Amino acid sequence: MFRIFSLALSYVFIFLIYYFIFNIIRLIYLDIKNMKEKEESNTGGPFLKLLTTKEKLDFSVESLYSVKQDAVIGRGAESDIKIEDIFISTKHAQITRDEDEFFIEDLESVNGTYLNGNRLEDVARLKNGDKVGIGLLEFVFVKETG
Amino acid sequence: MRPINIVVIINTLFFLLLYLFIDPLNTYIIGAGAILTALIVICSFIINRANMGDSYIFLIISLLSSIGIVVIYRLDSASGVRQIMWYALGVVLYFLGYIIFRSFRNWDEYIYLYIGTSILLFVSTFAVGTTIKGATNWIQIGGFTFQPAEVIKIIFVFFIAAYIAYPEKLKNVYVFLGLVYVHILFLFLQRDLGMAMLLFGVFISIFYVSNKNYKLLLYNLLPAFGIIVIGYFTMNHVQVRYEAWINPWRDISGRGYQITQSLFAIAEGGFFGTGLGFGRPDYIPEVHTDFIFSAICEEMGVFGGIAVILLYFILIYRGFKITLQIKDMFKKTVALGITLTYSYQTFIIIGGVTKLIPLTGITLPFISYGGSSLVSAFIAFGILQGISKDVLEGAELIEV
Repeated sequence: MFRIFSLALSYVFIFLIYYFIFNIIRLIYLDIKNMKEKEESNTGGPFLKLLTTKEKLDFSVESLYSVKQDAVIGRGAESDIKIEDIFISTKHAQITRDEDEFFIEDLESVNGTYLNGNRLEDVARLKNGDKVGIGLLEFVFVKETG
Repeated sequence: MRPINIVVIINTLFFLLLYLFIDPLNTYIIGAGAILTALIVICSFIINRANMGDSYIFLIISLLSSIGIVVIYRLDSASGVRQIMWYALGVVLYFLGYIIFRSFRNWDEYIYLYIGTSILLFVSTFAVGTTIKGATNWIQIGGFTFQPAEVIKIIFVFFIAAYIAYPEKLKNVYVFLGLVYVHILFLFLQRDLGMAMLLFGVFISIFYVSNKNYKLLLYNLLPAFGIIVIGYFTMNHVQVRYEAWINPWRDISGRGYQITQSLFAIAEGGFFGTGLGFGRPDYIPEVHTDFIFSAICEEMGVFGGIAVILLYFILIYRGFKITLQIKDMFKKTVALGITLTYSYQTFIIIGGVTKLIPLTGITLPFISYGGSSLVSAFIAFGILQGISKDVLEGAELIEV
């Protein structure tokens, strides 16, 4: 009886260990894909880098978003930075560029936008290394890499 | 399914099986399994919650240690309990390693301290060391014995990294090379050939990566061959190992006994193994330390063995990924050194027990029975975890 049990479980163990490996290799694949994309876009310039660990989230999110002239962050299809987080409004926030300065503005979102932990009330200037909190996510704003 | 859930399911099934296997039924085993699993879940939760960097390193080493603990428990339940305690201590030191590594900023300045500590440890091993199984590499303190070489392994990596970051601290490259060879010479005198091979491999790889003078690299490879040849003719046990590797079947009851038993065990397992508890891995001498991989192959099959190797692959991949993403030269070299140390160690022992390369006594990281090796591996990967935090923080991107 125990023999059959043990033999059956040995197959289960092997399956489970491979399933674990498969899961992690899938993440490795995503990693490499990410690194490649990063190289392709070669963002030396302004971008938002994700700080929150991706694995805890149930929606897909990139680890790097480059910020163009006027970037709208939101859940809506026409957003420049589109994130499927349920805590993010359709049009959540906007980053505007004025010559060499960047400004962030909340577009009357439900859950608000946070800059370095404080809720945004008005337009604020973004500095290199500022932390931007939107929905469940936290990004760091990088104006230029050192 | 998230990887942590898979680890929990595997552990539950493993310990259920162990509970049914060991006669008479002993609820103590279920308790031990529950404590182990709870520890893994709590720590992985803390790592995620406190944003401690790479969240996979800990999961992979937990799965590896779980497999190790189960196989050791099945071989000898007293050792299994002790291994769980070592695991708990290892986890504490993993976090301590992380915290201590991160709370000091100038690790790259203490090159003389690293050299001094290593040499002190070597000398004290000679002075008060005890000989266990042909190698004088143990120090006994109270009731505990520990292997200083396991600590030296980590310090050695720090020493090389400190040199690579600031080469001007030592007079010239020859002083550095001399100090490296002092380490290796000491290990030779202790007859710890596996460890000597390991440190040399790590040194030569980092030297190859960071040095542009290929002639010097070649000059370093030549004495290595010289040492092997001299070692073969002067040291009896090197000869024994070599002969047992070339043809173990000639002296199957003597020199070749261990390696042939290991090969029989692997063959006995077939593709899916005999099932936990139905093999006879206890025929192999030293099965719970050096030869644990053969026991895994026998009872969990070749597929189980390949799974273990793949786990090491992804663990090492994480290490290399961290190495590539870090810009700071010292941290980069430490990450590379730690990754290389454990990848070579795995290669040397798995290659040894499957008769791919001559056998040298070294432990399989995280799986083999043994306090020093488990604990030092946890400290090393705690440091790697500390380095990986920089990648996640983007601290390397913005130089504030």
